[in-house]
Amino acid sequence: MSHPRTLTFAFMEPPFESERTITFFRLLDAALDRDVGVRVFAYEGAVALTFARQQPHGNAVHGRDSAEEAHPLTKDWVQALQEKARARTVGFEWINCGLCVDERGVNDVIEGCGRGGPPDLWRYATDARNTLTIGTR
Amino acid sequence: MSQYLFIQSQDPFTESRTRHQFDLIGQLHEAGHDVSVLLVQNGVTPARRGARTGSFDRLLDWGVPVLADTFSLEQREIDDADLKDNIGLSSLHVVIDAMLANGKVIWH
Amino acid sequence: MKVLQVIDQAYRTTTEEQDDTIVWLTRSMRGVGGNLMILLSGHGVHYAVLRERQPTLTLGNWRQTQPAEIPRDITELVNSGVPVYAVQDDLEERGLGDLPLQGGVRPISRRALPELYEEADQVWQW
Repeated sequence: MSHPRTLTFAFMEPPFESERTITFFRLLDAALDRDVGVRVFAYEGAVALTFARQQPHGNAVHGRDSAEEAHPLTKDWVQALQEKARARTVGFEWINCGLCVDERGVNDVIEGCGRGGPPDLWRYATDARNTLTIGTR
Repeated sequence: MSQYLFIQSQDPFTESRTRHQFDLIGQLHEAGHDVSVLLVQNGVTPARRGARTGSFDRLLDWGVPVLADTFSLEQREIDDADLKDNIGLSSLHVVIDAMLANGKVIWH
Repeated sequence: MKVLQVIDQAYRTTTEEQDDTIVWLTRSMRGVGGNLMILLSGHGVHYAVLRERQPTLTLGNWRQTQPAEIPRDITELVNSGVPVYAVQDDLEERGLGDLPLQGGVRPISRRALPELYEEADQVWQW
């Protein structure tokens, strides 16, 4: 373990499908509260969490236009966590499984998020203090 | 003795697997390990007083420490007073603390 | 560091990924020296008794040519030095208790799971 104050998270859920996604992001936020470096390996549907072309929309049923609706986007959450990590001077790394990205066509990702594969998960896990995996149903 | 924290997102009303998950938690507890459970998402639903969930209640009977995520409770309008006895409130920071303590943190 | 990969589900994406994604992930990490074990539990125990390649999907004019080969994948995992366990109680619960396990897959009772969990430094539940 070369990074005793770093935690690794592997996650499989896509955006806008599962309550797990909310808990996952809350866990990352809680880790940063503890001034812990965070490393994420996004697998399968989770690679769409950082897709740069996510767009907010209005909601006629809610009676709100796009600005009023202020629809949550997971790419914005990732950016918010990146900023929080910078402010607390801890690391925040994010690797998307490259094959999972290709098959979904979500190659256009926000800045600060990279592309890799399972060897990166193993490297993240062996370097970190601990690892939590959250699969999908 | 190892430290285990199970993050319990599945609930016994929809997932029959939880019965075996609770049994495993109980076995590890009986084996003398430091085992605790954090209920999250619909995993908090058996914590409500009056919820009929024998397999979950056995965990409480065995004395396994059980916490419930305040955000998940708030979503479901479950107050502290609505909880069964011996269930504590917690934020997700307990997960981070367990990971930093080299605990085995396992998502259910 | 030794990791126990718990595969509690089956057939999640075997058709479109043409493998089980966690078996694949494990094979890939094993390829870079990962010290891993696999526990097949819940519906995951089906993988311990499969004999054939997965069925081929046909949709309109589109026909799959490379369906998943779970038995091959499990065998190669075992041959690469990854111990693979299947929960005997879960096999019996599903009426699979009398079927032969794939070569190298070891049955384990639910009562013995705490010892297996103790063998690992980390338990990754999928």
